[in-house]
Amino acid sequence: MSNLLTRTFDAGDHRPFGRRLRSPRGARVPLVVVTGFLGAGKTTLIRDLLRQPEGADTLVIVNEFGEVGIDDALLKTGGDATVLMGNGCLCCTLRSDLQKTLVEVLAERARGELPPFQQIILETSGLADPVPILQTLTADRGLASQIHLQAVVTVIDAVLGSRTLEEAPEARRQVAVADRLILTKVDLAGVEAARNFEAELLALNPSAKIVRAENGKVSPQTILADNAQLTEPVYPPRERAHHAADVESFALRFDKPLDWIAVEQSLELLARLRGHDILRAKGLLDIKGCKGPVVVHQVQHLTAKPVELESWPSGERSSRLVFITRNIARRDIETLLDIAIRLAGEANVPMSEPATDGSND
Amino acid sequence: MAKGNGTLVHNFKLLANHQLDGFGGMGEGMSIQIAPDGRRILWLAHESAPKNFTGVDVTDPKNPKVVVQTNLPTSHMRSNSLEVSGNIMAVAYQTQKQGQKPAGMELFDISKPENPKSIAFFDRSGPHSRGVHVLWFHDGEYVHMAAGAPDFEAGHELDDQCYQIIDVKNPSKPTEVGRWWMPGTKKGETPIKRHEKPALDKGFRAHNTNVYPSHPDRCYLAYLDGGMLIMDIKDKANPKPISRWDNSPPYTGFTHTMIPMFKRGLAIVADESTVDGGKDWPKLVWILDIRDEKNPIPIATCPPPAFDEFAHRGGRFGAHNMHENLELPTSFHSEDIIFCTYFGGGLVAYDISNPYRPETVGTFIPPAPNGSKIGAIQINDCFVDERRIVYCVDRFTGGLYILEPTF
Repeated sequence: MSNLLTRTFDAGDHRPFGRRLRSPRGARVPLVVVTGFLGAGKTTLIRDLLRQPEGADTLVIVNEFGEVGIDDALLKTGGDATVLMGNGCLCCTLRSDLQKTLVEVLAERARGELPPFQQIILETSGLADPVPILQTLTADRGLASQIHLQAVVTVIDAVLGSRTLEEAPEARRQVAVADRLILTKVDLAGVEAARNFEAELLALNPSAKIVRAENGKVSPQTILADNAQLTEPVYPPRERAHHAADVESFALRFDKPLDWIAVEQSLELLARLRGHDILRAKGLLDIKGCKGPVVVHQVQHLTAKPVELESWPSGERSSRLVFITRNIARRDIETLLDIAIRLAGEANVPMSEPATDGSND
Repeated sequence: MAKGNGTLVHNFKLLANHQLDGFGGMGEGMSIQIAPDGRRILWLAHESAPKNFTGVDVTDPKNPKVVVQTNLPTSHMRSNSLEVSGNIMAVAYQTQKQGQKPAGMELFDISKPENPKSIAFFDRSGPHSRGVHVLWFHDGEYVHMAAGAPDFEAGHELDDQCYQIIDVKNPSKPTEVGRWWMPGTKKGETPIKRHEKPALDKGFRAHNTNVYPSHPDRCYLAYLDGGMLIMDIKDKANPKPISRWDNSPPYTGFTHTMIPMFKRGLAIVADESTVDGGKDWPKLVWILDIRDEKNPIPIATCPPPAFDEFAHRGGRFGAHNMHENLELPTSFHSEDIIFCTYFGGGLVAYDISNPYRPETVGTFIPPAPNGSKIGAIQINDCFVDERRIVYCVDRFTGGLYILEPTF
């Protein structure tokens, strides 16, 4: 929300979330997290993307460098953490923590010491739980003002995927928090097996888009496009996956405009009481008094700064909110939001600024 | 460590670069006309002779086409500035030395862009005049300009261009209706206190003379070493200063442009770098609080491109022109986003939603253009149309760059 000082220079139109943006990323550098099971083919997909025009000027950050083996032809090794790759892309080995690496590469770019990369791909290790990465990008406000989490893309092997989901909790979280799921090795698994596996995946994450890779390739936009759920229809709830009892994913829709206070307070309450169990909440909201949709994103107990967009995608004006939770029932969250919305509606709460400290002095 | 290559492009997509048929040294006049046949023509002033102005069809911004390019009659003049209102274009003519001719302003009928027809020449030559450096023509009625005059003699030769208001309601007969000079700059007056270091004494004379149709009683006047002034021009025969803000010393003068943001009570002020290699650094873009127009207060400066990386690559480095938020249907208008040029620092867009903390949202520092003798880009001016297409020009050879912001 804008603060008192910036409101001093209000242009007269109501913009509680600051400048309306054309896209959720605004001016920030888009960052795509590519995660996925060991051997699922993440590196192959990324390497193919880097050869396309859309992949130019990409900074690739790899954690646990070497494990997945980007080949030497593409990667010119250097003495430092950042090295130039074949088509003008950069590759960064994640030796230090993610925060430090991102701050450094942004500063080096601004100083002209690094070529001006336009996007970042963060390839995580196969065993990585992506939630702490999303937390890092949300928690560090300095970083969040410069980097936009464009999407979480999870790559899954259709042959071994089902077993991996069964055995590895990290794998289930990789699927649950993904915006897009890329299925590889469909030819080896067979179409029937792939279809069954897709149903399993959708049960775990009904809002994700599933794309099958062909010969280890997908269209560049499958990896690079902005957060899919913002523009695509919310999928109806599906049958829960038998091996994913701990993770649930569902979408809520609201047809009437919402009070921001009700939404903010509900999400805050959820974060305080059960933040640990909110893996991710994301959506577009129709907020009373706002012209465009308001983008919200929550990772565990952390909420990203909401932004207002200039216009609704595809003209559809209604709130949609996707939750990926652990051991919280859909109806509990639905009830909480319903009550807050009803109370706020009855109170006719005006859109106001959060209280600042020192108000009693 | 992979080192930078002197370029920095972030959040701008280059749609086209046109070197304007070998005459890509451009000045600080950029204006859009929607021609009677519907074509969108971008009119560009050249930095120096031999070319006068160039019209470029930018209807398709990915495929700009030169429709006309004209010559100056002599090599000792330049037409650094132009503005279009409707189908009339005003062009500024300045000579190298005082006393030379032709010096003044010419009005053209550009209804047929391929064939601009002169309507009038307004002579500003004189024994102590170099003519017109910059002009502003927004409402179709008045040209506001920084100019010498046949009857104007400054006490110091660097102070030879004052603020003048020319009535062009009858475009075939332009008439001066008012003028103002900073007290102490006209010959015979008690001389103004000059900047002490001679190398930094660049003159107390008018530069940009911005007057917006929504506020026709105000001129936002930049006066180089005199800082900037908000002028009351309700009585055009008698312009009166309301306030003045001058950052120099300790800064190094050459205040170039002031752009008001009426709804927010803000103003953007840019100084101009005029010395190569960043030797007059820092030349900045300032944010002013002008809620009380009698008391402008600087509240922030915009973060410039990295000095160490870009200042020593050749040519100038520092602020210069900005997109001036024209109140025309063909101009981008925003009080949140501003576009500023920095010579070797390229073009930078800022988000000033929080005016106390402007944020860089886009940068365009391309490589040195083909044929560049100085070895670096020198972005001189910019204009943004209502489609949010950004046009910017190089001062020497690069011509026109057409960009799409992606932020």
